[in-house]
Amino acid sequence: MATTQRPRPKTWSLLGDVKRRPSSYEATAAKFNYHYKREPAPFEMDPQAPFNRLYLEHREGSPFTVEDWEGFKDPAKLTYADYVMLQHDRETYVDLLTDHHEAAESVAALDPAWVATLRDLFVPLRFPLHVLQMTGLYVGQMAPTAFIINCANFQAADELRRIQRIAYHTKSLAVGHGDDLAETSTARGPWEQSAAWQPLRETLERLLTVRDWGEAFVALNVAVKPALDAVVDQQLSELASRNGDEYLSLLMAEFQLDAQRSRDWTTALLGYAVEQDPAMADVVAGWLATWQPRAHAAVAGLAPLFGAAPNPLDPALVVAAADDAVLGVAAAATR
Amino acid sequence: MPRLARSEWYDLTRDMNWDLTYATEEEVFPELLSNGFGVPTHDWWTWDEPYKITYAEYVHNQAGKDAGLFSVNNVVGRSKIFENLDPGWLAAVTAHYGAIAVAEYQAGIGEARMARFGRAAAWRNMATYGALDETRHGQLQTYFPYQALNKEPRLDWAHKAYHTNEWGIIASRHLFDDMFTANDAVSMAIQLTFTFETGFTNLQFLGMAADAMKIGDIDFGSLIPSIQTDEARHAQQGEPTLKILVAAGKKDIAQALFDKMFWRAWKVFALLTGLSMDYYTPLAHRTHSFKEFMEEFINTQFIDQFRDFGLEPPWYWDRLHNEMSWVHHAYHLGVYFWRPTVWWNPVAGVGPEERAWLEEKYPGWNDSFGTYWDQMGANIRAGHPELTLPETFPVVCNSCQLPVCTPAGYAAGYLDSPLPLQLTVDGRLYTFCSEPCQWVFEQTPEQFAGHTSIIDRLLGGVIQPPTIPGALAYMGLSPEECGQDGTDYDWAHATAPVTAGPAASGAA
Repeated sequence: MATTQRPRPKTWSLLGDVKRRPSSYEATAAKFNYHYKREPAPFEMDPQAPFNRLYLEHREGSPFTVEDWEGFKDPAKLTYADYVMLQHDRETYVDLLTDHHEAAESVAALDPAWVATLRDLFVPLRFPLHVLQMTGLYVGQMAPTAFIINCANFQAADELRRIQRIAYHTKSLAVGHGDDLAETSTARGPWEQSAAWQPLRETLERLLTVRDWGEAFVALNVAVKPALDAVVDQQLSELASRNGDEYLSLLMAEFQLDAQRSRDWTTALLGYAVEQDPAMADVVAGWLATWQPRAHAAVAGLAPLFGAAPNPLDPALVVAAADDAVLGVAAAATR
Repeated sequence: MPRLARSEWYDLTRDMNWDLTYATEEEVFPELLSNGFGVPTHDWWTWDEPYKITYAEYVHNQAGKDAGLFSVNNVVGRSKIFENLDPGWLAAVTAHYGAIAVAEYQAGIGEARMARFGRAAAWRNMATYGALDETRHGQLQTYFPYQALNKEPRLDWAHKAYHTNEWGIIASRHLFDDMFTANDAVSMAIQLTFTFETGFTNLQFLGMAADAMKIGDIDFGSLIPSIQTDEARHAQQGEPTLKILVAAGKKDIAQALFDKMFWRAWKVFALLTGLSMDYYTPLAHRTHSFKEFMEEFINTQFIDQFRDFGLEPPWYWDRLHNEMSWVHHAYHLGVYFWRPTVWWNPVAGVGPEERAWLEEKYPGWNDSFGTYWDQMGANIRAGHPELTLPETFPVVCNSCQLPVCTPAGYAAGYLDSPLPLQLTVDGRLYTFCSEPCQWVFEQTPEQFAGHTSIIDRLLGGVIQPPTIPGALAYMGLSPEECGQDGTDYDWAHATAPVTAGPAASGAA
């Protein structure tokens, strides 16, 4: 039989006449988003159908646009298989870390005053972090190329990872220090009503109203997420360490790896955009003029909770760390 | 292993629902992206997935599954298994990759929409896994053909197809864009996950996987069931969504969503899977006819399932049963006759033994569809294979985008009239292959009215020159990519000469 007799191609025909055979990372993402800039409209329906108009306005029509998004590559070059293998290893580590501390009964030994801080500062976190998950997946459905979509979806899955470990530890705390810690109202109550959480909630609810894919990416990945990652993964880790909670300190520090991967692809994408079109620096700066103050306000609201711990962190330093994190990522759009 | 069982803490990963203060419900969950159909916000918060999984379990499971699959693919790549595949099976696999691979990746956009605009945190979490799953399926189903590209250049269509205007791909885009890339989260849970994945994908994947292993295609036979394990999990987003709609008194809405997408999926399924099961799969490895498979899995198992939720079989149930006996036979004739317009090499699958099987499974086949094949076989044996090739194009349905086959259904005794249905809206004439297709169009005319079928484009001057070569170029098919008879006409020479029937002509 009968496979077709023709010159043997090196790669997909749409990738052109290449010298080097593209990697599996490239071959399983390049030009997957067939509907981006498709004529007469993205989707195979009435060109004026509402979804066509939505994508034409908020994706093709975004001010954050370069000639060819396909040139962007994830610095980590993760395929799905790479991603689950990577996180399989990291989750194995967290399981072992958890085993170790459960065997040592370290949760039961926590100072009740520190548990009170965790009730105010740690337990509600799953609500705001869920908004980061949601918004990551908004970027994932609106981005112009699979090279960006995959980064955004993996990032959102990382948020799910962090939320679940927070949920697990919340239950552990409840077992050792009072069942009500694991009540929904113990998290939702402060999230909806406590003054410390309202600036963050306001910022995140506004984030959920953004439709332009470029603004959603910049607001999330350049402003809100770096600020919150600095607070949750670094400052809370440091605070836990100061209060004798080694498990929580190491757990939060573990998520710095995911946060770093997010910053890596974010800065790579900003750098790519500005390199392709220097005018993109102004586009990004324009959005940051809105979102940087909102991220700052969100963290400034939470920071006093760090100052209320038995062994506190200076709230001003928490805010400064978040501001620095945002500036560090944003700098990639000005080089 | 950590001490707390999943059930002890899982609810804390899925209770992140709250009342908005700084933005409105419509701003955060706009109707276009998340049609709540008037169900109260807090009712949605009761959404409860039947299948629970944690992130850690997910990455542990998936890493193991992928490691196994890549090992198989690596071994198969060093063997001659691919080169020795039966030509019919190669047609089925090449058609599958073109129609499905990138479409699955796009289903990830649909999952991401549910993961953002689903109306409960528990649902958004399940859809987050779904978005990862579909990334996996898109990548695996392009990686596998990519590894075999040097053995079969036609596998380029696993990547290229959705960038083209090949007619089957127009039909697939028209279906899948309506189902997920351009659908709202709530409708999608009913239409993508419940209707399509629970109903049809199950059938396609389990059926093909079993066939692949029997045929010796270990690569495909390992890939497809592995994908199906993910589908079986994330397809369960439909059921809780359906329960909430029904409990809120929105059964009619759920039924209409279901009816529309069930019919739409049926049409493309009949094209893709109907041909694979009844013509492309080698006879020795067939266990069911397409019709039997449909009756067993969809009409019995699946219908029982949706009756449990208070839904009824769609209003067009009689027409569906009617088409199950004939429409894929008509599509197969069409695909074979217009084989230059597809990216795979169709096999006829009508040698003497296959015909006996078709007659047994579809009594009357020889006297109806068989007569067209008699004629084509006679033309080939007479040294005129060019008479088995097209000079014009068929009329295409403005709903399913597939050729209108009512004349064949009429000639075979299944329809009362050979005529298609026609409808004039705002001065434009639309043509439909069936009442359900017209009904689908009329459900959401704003979605479809301005769309042009490939025949509209041919007649409207979009395709230039308006000839067979011009149309093939428009479809993205270079001369060497155009489909050819997969067995070099072996089937015609294996058939006993036929004396009855009209003189040699191109009619089919």
